[in-house]
Amino acid sequence: MTSLDWIVLIATIAFIVIYGWWKTRGHQDINTYLRGGNELKWPTIGLSIMATQASAITFLSTPGQAYEDGMRFIQMYLGLPLAMIVIAAFIVPIYYKLNVFTAYEYLELRFDVKMRFLGAFLFLIQRGLAAGITIYAPSIILASVMGWSLQITNVVIGTIVILYTVSGGTKAVSQTQKQQMVVIMTGMFIAAFLILYRLPSNVSVSDATSLAGALGRMNVIDFGFGFKDRYNFWSGIIGGFFLAMSYFGTDQSQVQRYLSGRSITESRLGLLFNGMLKIPMQFIILYIGVLVFVFYLFHKPPIFFNTPALQALKKTQNAGKLADLQKRYDAAFLKQKAAASAFINARKAGDTQRIQQTKRSFQESAKHLEALRKSTRLLIYDNVPRAKKSKEADYIFIFFIINILPAGIIGLLIAVILSAAMSSTASELNALGTTTVIDFYRRTIRPKASDKHYVIASKVFTVFWGVVALAFASFASLVDNLIEAVNILGSIFYGTILGIFLVAFFLKRVGTNATFVAALIAQTTILTLFFTTQLGYLWYNLIGCAIVVVLSLLLRPLDRQAAA
Amino acid sequence: MTNDPTSPQERPELEDAPPILGSWKRIYILVLSVLAVQLALYAWLSWNFAP
Repeated sequence: MTSLDWIVLIATIAFIVIYGWWKTRGHQDINTYLRGGNELKWPTIGLSIMATQASAITFLSTPGQAYEDGMRFIQMYLGLPLAMIVIAAFIVPIYYKLNVFTAYEYLELRFDVKMRFLGAFLFLIQRGLAAGITIYAPSIILASVMGWSLQITNVVIGTIVILYTVSGGTKAVSQTQKQQMVVIMTGMFIAAFLILYRLPSNVSVSDATSLAGALGRMNVIDFGFGFKDRYNFWSGIIGGFFLAMSYFGTDQSQVQRYLSGRSITESRLGLLFNGMLKIPMQFIILYIGVLVFVFYLFHKPPIFFNTPALQALKKTQNAGKLADLQKRYDAAFLKQKAAASAFINARKAGDTQRIQQTKRSFQESAKHLEALRKSTRLLIYDNVPRAKKSKEADYIFIFFIINILPAGIIGLLIAVILSAAMSSTASELNALGTTTVIDFYRRTIRPKASDKHYVIASKVFTVFWGVVALAFASFASLVDNLIEAVNILGSIFYGTILGIFLVAFFLKRVGTNATFVAALIAQTTILTLFFTTQLGYLWYNLIGCAIVVVLSLLLRPLDRQAAA
Repeated sequence: MTNDPTSPQERPELEDAPPILGSWKRIYILVLSVLAVQLALYAWLSWNFAP
């Protein structure tokens, strides 16, 4: 990075943090600290919800995912607008009327304290781990590519987030997220514009999309059905709906965002704002990945994007094999580039037969190039074990940023990635601190302390969870495929948690015992499915939820026995 | 039922009219319409730029 990049990076991050601190200075009571004083308007709530969900890995991974696998990942979000409507219509009024700080307080009001502790405990475990990963995931990639120390990167990101989250509470989190989303969207639009600008002059947006489409990257919607297929229309609209219901309706890191609304109207509008803009935002990020893919049809990409791992392979006894693969790759790239140009020229000439011929030739040359990349990947994984800790796709966009984009923009886009890391982590720490204080500390240890005492306790527990997240981020590198493991872990529990909440919201005649037993059976079933089948993980959300709802109805006699 | 001494006091149910379109039902239909338009666009992109 140049001096200009460092200036842009430091100035952007410093502005956001100082702005957040300045906007939230002054007296704090428990309502101000944990619910932002119920002062926030819908644009801030909406941006805060989006920023919480969009972690750094979203901006590092998603363009790379489109590069490798096409745009089909967008289908995961198809159920999200439907979930936003259901939450806005039915769940927000309940939370608002009951005047709760956390979603789990509601479980005690509806069932008993046992269900409250169960919900809060599952949240703390799951989100506590996730907060560590939210810091670790971008750190390992940035540290590797930029030559930074992994531990120092972790500590810098973690410390900044802890400082402003602790000092200003929920309001500081939301105010900084508003600025972070502005930086994120500005950075992504500039990146998209610069990629288009760097394409060959005879390649229009339509040509670029055709080239990507010919190689299967424009697979936005797939109406085919398959339980093992991770992303299709049906898993997205059904599984994605239940995932979004669970995440936005019951996960405190999101619930806290809209509980800080000035009124029920502001909270609802914030959620619906997310419902309308989330899919277009993901589309833009994925399409940027597709444009990077097209860019590298005309500019030779590295044979393996995780270049530190590639360099490590060159120092092993298999360097010769790599040199041979590289030689064949260079020749295959030139052939593919010529085939891509021929396809574009045929398209411009409008000759249907020639278009089909050149398209087939382009597809075959791309297949050959991909086979060489795959051989290289396997060679690296066999000889450089640390390369397996992160997916190659995660390195594609950051490689493009630091090697292709101009000075200044690199700093801005690194600020985008760090902003995303900090915005998600801030919400997580804020929610973890709140849940620990409200659902455990105030409920069982100090029920009648002063407001000032709870504000201090909230700050202490936020620091505690920040330190836990940092410690977890520091040791995360000891475990292979940790990021994927934590993502799947989330889906394993979300269905059951959502089932508990849906029974609580909509099945008023079902009591504690039936719901508790149904939740245990559902969780056991999901764990069995996870260990014994290849089912796509989005379906766990639907199945877990359905089992809790159906079984709790069937097990209602348990409640009658308890009452007798 | 709860015996939670820290249990919050319920807030009154307030009139909750949206600032635009007159009713929440219309706003929900707007969100669904935006989703439908996006689905149509994405289906067309998938079909038109299929391999």
